[in-house]
Amino acid sequence: MGAWSFYITTLLVYFVVDALSAFSLNLQFGYAGVVNFGFIVFQAAGAYVAAVVTLGPSGPASFQQYILGSHLPFPLDLLAATLAGALLSFVVGLFALRRMRRDYQAAVLLIVSLIALQVVSADVPLFNGSNGLTGVTWPFGQLFGATATGSPYLYLGYAAVIGVLVCLGVIWLSRSPWGRSLRAMRDHEDAASAMGLNITSLRLQVFVLGGAIAGLSGGLLVEYIGAWSPGAWGYAETFVIFTAIFVGGVGNYRGVLVGTLLVPIIFLEIPRFLPAIGYPGLTDSLEWVVVGLAWMLCLLFRPRGIIPERRLKAARPASPLETAPAEGSA
Amino acid sequence: MGGSMALGAADPLVAPIPGAPVLEARDVAVGYGGVRAVDGVSLAIRPGEVVGIIGPNGAGKSSFLGALGGQVKRSRGQILLGSRDVSQLPPHDRARLGLVRTFQTTSEFARMTVFENLVTAAEGDSGASLKAVILHPGRTHLREQELAQRAFGIMERFEMTHTADLYGRELSGGQRRLVEIMRCLVRHPRVLLLDEPMVGVAPHLTGKLIDDLRAIAAEGLGILVVEHALEVVRRLCDRVVVMAFGKVIAAGEFEEVVADPQVQAAYLS
Repeated sequence: MGAWSFYITTLLVYFVVDALSAFSLNLQFGYAGVVNFGFIVFQAAGAYVAAVVTLGPSGPASFQQYILGSHLPFPLDLLAATLAGALLSFVVGLFALRRMRRDYQAAVLLIVSLIALQVVSADVPLFNGSNGLTGVTWPFGQLFGATATGSPYLYLGYAAVIGVLVCLGVIWLSRSPWGRSLRAMRDHEDAASAMGLNITSLRLQVFVLGGAIAGLSGGLLVEYIGAWSPGAWGYAETFVIFTAIFVGGVGNYRGVLVGTLLVPIIFLEIPRFLPAIGYPGLTDSLEWVVVGLAWMLCLLFRPRGIIPERRLKAARPASPLETAPAEGSA
Repeated sequence: MGGSMALGAADPLVAPIPGAPVLEARDVAVGYGGVRAVDGVSLAIRPGEVVGIIGPNGAGKSSFLGALGGQVKRSRGQILLGSRDVSQLPPHDRARLGLVRTFQTTSEFARMTVFENLVTAAEGDSGASLKAVILHPGRTHLREQELAQRAFGIMERFEMTHTADLYGRELSGGQRRLVEIMRCLVRHPRVLLLDEPMVGVAPHLTGKLIDDLRAIAAEGLGILVVEHALEVVRRLCDRVVVMAFGKVIAAGEFEEVVADPQVQAAYLS
């Protein structure tokens, strides 16, 4: 396989992973108004679990130390990653999503993200410290007698099928009455609650569902790249996904796909091909400037994104209209 | 219709008892820090009755409404819906039992269409839960059709069908008030709490809204309305309660209440 086709395939796998993240965050933020500044933690947790459940047990003599090591067969590895994301979201959601202002919730989630990075980096026996994990393989690949790097096309196909199915599921749920409840909660919490919606429960539901998808996407990524390092899951990664959603169009999944293509893929990949300028690392730093600028320019000139949230027109009922609105209480 | 959507009817404790109040507040108090916003207010509303609350700014009217709806924490007192004590229930459970409200500042769902605003009001029941949506798609589809019919029926009644596909934020102030009221009606309420429903409503529509509310009450609802416009209160309400400094200072029919010297001194002069 040529370098170019490998590169393009890798980019497409990243696109699937980023699209899953963006769909999940869009469901949480664009639909439900939950400002999940800790999103990346749930993806990292899924990635970590997918890694250790395929690496096998870690002993005192192992070159890397970690917990939960085992050899789970396909597809239990990804299921474990999904559950890890869901479980961690549930625990975090129980304290971070209590009845307080949304900006406070966002601050708590950002702090969770910062603390998680510190804990993982500092505690070597738990997650192998800042060295992270390497040698992660792909159980599905072993099944076919191929390693991840030996069969990127196969992995891309596998990731794409999962990605498409999950994204279609997210779209379907968003358009369901449950998704409508989320939008009502986003627009006016007090009114939604006064109409009978259990806000605390709804918020936790969307947080856990989003966390599960984040965990799944993390699992897909780590099994492709074969390594897991806490440094790669910093809080700034959450803002890349947020930028993708804002640029594409909050609440519109087509927009979210466009944003995913533009921000994490094109904006962050094109600079690799530019000639090196200044001191080493300057180009990398400039990438973050580009992401920040994209977000700001979007908020200034196109606050609803490239493809704004779509108006859902009501289908007029065909049968004669009922006119007594309070017959149930008479 | 009815079934899963007519939630209030499912609870025998909130079923209407002839002659008995549909909503009763007993010695309700609300405090903010050291301030007693509501100080021992008792009140009862019977099915079909429209009760108005008037009083100067800061009298505790909206806080009292908040305590009834569950948005504001009570420091003491009891709230009964039918014969059921709802004092400890969160707002969404009170709404599911038929106690619904509008807000002083309009509370339409701004990025949802008027139609969606209305049908969302019925989502609190189990038919819209994540579990029901995933496990019973057929039932969900039927329920959606029933709801659409109901929502259009209510919009027709308020002559708002032409706004069905407009976003909440695209409406005028008066239309937003109507959306709030229509949204409440989707829930098959037993009691409607209205906080200044006429603010922003064009004068020529005020009379129609009064007639509509009276017609809705006649179907067996209890309505409690906080309102500053005395002419509206006179035409809309069967009884009036006057609040000042967190207490009820007078109650009765409109004409006798406004003639009360204490009310004159506290509010009207």
